[in-house]
Amino acid sequence: MESTAIAADARKRRTKPAIIDCDIHIPSVKEEMLAYLPRHYREQIDTFGMRLPSQGAMYLNGAKGGRMQEQQFPNDGKTSSILEHFRREHLDKYNIAHAILTGIGDYGINTTPDPDYAAALCRASNDYGIDHFVSQDPRVKSSIMIPKQDPLLAAQEIDRVGDHPGLVQVIVSNGAEKPYGNRFYYPIYEACVRHNLPFAVHVSMEGIGINHPPTGAGHVNHYIEYRMARTQIMMAHLASMIFEGVFVRFPELKFVMIEAGMLWVAPYMWRMDQDWKALRSQTPWVSEPPSEYVRRHVRFTSQPLELPPDNAMFEPMMNAIFADTNLLFASDYPHWDFDSPLKAFPKMSAERRERIFYANAAELYGLPSPAGQEASE
Amino acid sequence: MSAKHYVATVGELQPGGKRIVEAGGKSVGVYNIDGVYYALRNLCPHQGAGLCEGVTSAYVTSSGPGDFAYTCEGEIVRCPWHQWEFDIKTGQMVVDPRMRTLTYDVSVEKYEVSVDQEARIYVHLPA
Repeated sequence: MESTAIAADARKRRTKPAIIDCDIHIPSVKEEMLAYLPRHYREQIDTFGMRLPSQGAMYLNGAKGGRMQEQQFPNDGKTSSILEHFRREHLDKYNIAHAILTGIGDYGINTTPDPDYAAALCRASNDYGIDHFVSQDPRVKSSIMIPKQDPLLAAQEIDRVGDHPGLVQVIVSNGAEKPYGNRFYYPIYEACVRHNLPFAVHVSMEGIGINHPPTGAGHVNHYIEYRMARTQIMMAHLASMIFEGVFVRFPELKFVMIEAGMLWVAPYMWRMDQDWKALRSQTPWVSEPPSEYVRRHVRFTSQPLELPPDNAMFEPMMNAIFADTNLLFASDYPHWDFDSPLKAFPKMSAERRERIFYANAAELYGLPSPAGQEASE
Repeated sequence: MSAKHYVATVGELQPGGKRIVEAGGKSVGVYNIDGVYYALRNLCPHQGAGLCEGVTSAYVTSSGPGDFAYTCEGEIVRCPWHQWEFDIKTGQMVVDPRMRTLTYDVSVEKYEVSVDQEARIYVHLPA
């Protein structure tokens, strides 16, 4: 009888295995966040508004509010109500063991020409996130917002909060003033390494404010073109990180590409490896094939999952992108292009699923194994 | 064989309206399009969202960039998650008709129990 109960229990656990979800956007309550700003900026905002460029002023989104339409967050001015909704609608519903918030507040911070204001907003957002989200639920982890406009100020912010156990990475927008391999950013990577934090780039704010247009050919028109352009920019960042020698100079650094797609990484690595064979002598510090730096240093999130039209291509492509070590599951909750933890992926082996939905992220972010996992195996 | 489930009175489901009801353990969306009733399983075949909770809309066509024309007003439902468009009359996805949700028969019935009783709408699910 007892063994039957254990088997049933294991079956139950198998149907709802613990998950680490690596891309979550919970709305913040502006008034509660702004309370963390110094008087100077609070008064400016009262008088002039937020003065942050926005993506919504240039491009459409996929749905009203950018969200799944049934995800109407409470609007009572309390962050605690939002967190309660999030717990019920996502953490509990899908058995999310750890949810990585990918930025509290607004990536618009990464678009203003005023680095001091950006730094103040990052400090406020990070402190608000610690107090109102991370400290309220042990499942919730977050990312450190930084003023990427000024890498020295950014490093100060990483040094200020980087040892908080609930903050698991540093995050910036994909929209940038320079490709992220540029030595301009080295103070940020030095700080990441000091605090053992991955450096994450999340698609957003391409061509907005001080950031360069979303393609090298200039601005695009429609939202769907804009989404396609994001991948190009992430590709540019990836090649920049590798060939500028960031991973040679910072051998401990991990780079996380969030929401920019995943399967393209395979042919892009093959192209880099092929060119490197001929051009290695021009960047001789890159002493190993580029794909090797990707395998060791780069992680990428799954959502929005691009599935091949023929399911037979799925497994080979997953192998090609090192999915068992480098791919991280992400739902992008509550956004309209959410990937359901239960329904988005085609069938995979239990081992592969466990790597993508848990172990890869646990290793990257230093998170514990799911409780009781050993017993169910 | 099918089982009949009450949806609403005809007065409660006006043209352009919809009702989401529980019928035989399933959630079903019933629409009134120009006086004709259509029922869809309230389940998106893509990732399982409640399809009928999405916006009811028109089919947008175009003769070229910058031109927008609206046809089939009220005949398209957009999934509340990924905004995929489905034809309410057939349950089929607009750009990929092989992707579909179930449709059900709907009947309007009136029993002459009393003069002022309104006709009632029923959805029929396979038993």
